Order: sequence, then structure tokens, then C-alpha cells
Amino acid sequence: MKVCIACGMPMQEKSDFPNGDTNKDYCAHCARPDGSMQSYEEKLASYTAFIVRAQGLDRQAACAAARSAMAKLPAWENVHTR
Amino acid sequence: MPGTKRQEQKKQTRSRILEAAIEQFAKQGLTTTSTVAIAEAAHVAHGTVFAHFSTQEELLSAAIEEFGKRINQRLHELAGAGGGVREVLAAHLKGLTEHEAFYTRMITEARLLPEEARNTLIMIQSTASFHLSEAVEKEITAGSIQPLPVHLVFNGWVGLVHYYLANSDLFAPGGSVLERYGHELLQYYMTLIKAR
Ligand SMILES: [Zn+2]
Repeated sequence: MKVCIACGMPMQEKSDFPNGDTNKDYCAHCARPDGSMQSYEEKLASYTAFIVRAQGLDRQAACAAARSAMAKLPAWENVHTR
Repeated sequence: MPGTKRQEQKKQTRSRILEAAIEQFAKQGLTTTSTVAIAEAAHVAHGTVFAHFSTQEELLSAAIEEFGKRINQRLHELAGAGGGVREVLAAHLKGLTEHEAFYTRMITEARLLPEEARNTLIMIQSTASFHLSEAVEKEITAGSIQPLPVHLVFNGWVGLVHYYLANSDLFAPGGSVLERYGHELLQYYMTLIKAR
């Protein structure tokens, strides 16, 4: 089974892929409306917003957690962050 | 090729140490388990542990990361099967029950752990809250759940479950808290959030 290179989510269903395109290595949540992959900054922002919305954490704590999770994923290996 | 064989052996020893560590950490605590105990459980010399993990903290981080991957995968598998709020909460309970000992250590020792370990815990909650929030939003729209903020529905549930886990010695000495009370907690929580 494929795992999203940008957020780590396992992709099982066709609907997990951007516009149902199962050739993609990233998931529907990590894609822009046109199907291309979000940038690091875009993904960090959406990941942080998701943690705040679903878990209610402080924005900075949520951002640190998102950054730490993204650091372990193949899509962001070569991204240098502060 | 002998080089490949040696590499393969090295990989096997590493994973044996990691498995033993996950088990011992679950039994004896994340911050209190000695590398001596882990070496013994893995049937390797004490020095061998440090040939694979340079410090105790590195071994702990690796164990937590591996645990995080496994429980996340399982929660996604169980909770991603769809269904309503009740089904997602039941799936969450099942996933936690399967990993109860280590998970309990993580939540009770969270603030003593390195930041990275705390972030892993947030990621575990992300997986659970992702599936729960989808189900909650659907049921709120359908009018079967009260219109509550999704983070409070998640935190209320997790707060309840964690309270029982943190006090497992009082609720279910020597046994599984979630096996014993999971059903009751689920019933109670559904009654609480159900639309009246
Ligand atoms: Zn993704």
C-alpha cells in the first residue's frame, strides 16, 4: 500500500488520491485543486490548521508538531528549515 | 556476498533490540527502563545495544517512533473503514486496546519525554482526530450529534479514556482498562453528545 510522501497518510481508496489519480505519490489532502503537490509552506500551514481545528492545540505548539512530523517524510527530506 | 549477509545480520539484531525495547518500555516505563534490561530481553550483550543506538535516548526515540508508526497505521486501518461517530470511537478503542501498555506509558510520562516523543503523540492523536472529525461533521449535519466544536468532541473523549488509562492501577489492577470499561465509556460518551 502507498503512503503519502508529504503527510504519511496511508492511501487505500481511489478517493485518497488527488483527483483519483493512483499514480500520484501524495494524497488528496496534500494536493492543490489542480492536482499538483502543495509546497512545504502550504503543507505546513494546512497541517498546522488541521491540528488546531481537530485537537484545539496552541498554534505554535501545533506548528512545531507539524514541522517535526514533516521532517520525517520523504517529500521534505531536502527542505532546510530553521 | 558476505558483506550483504553481515548487513542483514546487523539489521536483524537492530530490530531484535528495538522489539525488546518496545516490550520492556511498555512493561517497566519509558523513562525508567535500563538498557541492561533491554539487552537481557533481546539476548544480546549490553555493549551491542550501543553499537546500534548510541545513547539510551536514541533507543527510546526509535522505539517511540516505531510504536507511533504501528499504532497510526492500525488506527487508520480501523477508523478509516467509515461509519458514524460510534463506529470511529469503537475503532479507536480497539486500536488503543491492542497497544494499551505502551500507549499508557506514553500518556503518563509525556511531559518527561523529549519534545520529539511528544510530537509523535500529537501525530497519533492527529490520525484519530482526523477520522473522528469527519464522522462528527457528517453527523452534526445530519442532526444526530449535537453541534459541538470538533476539537472538544475529540478532547472530551480522549480526556475520559486517558483518565481511565492513567489510573489503570485503580480501575483494573493487573488487567486491561479498555477491555473492562471501553464499552461503558463508549455508551456514556455517545449519550452525552447525541442530539436530544
Ligand atoms: Zn498527504
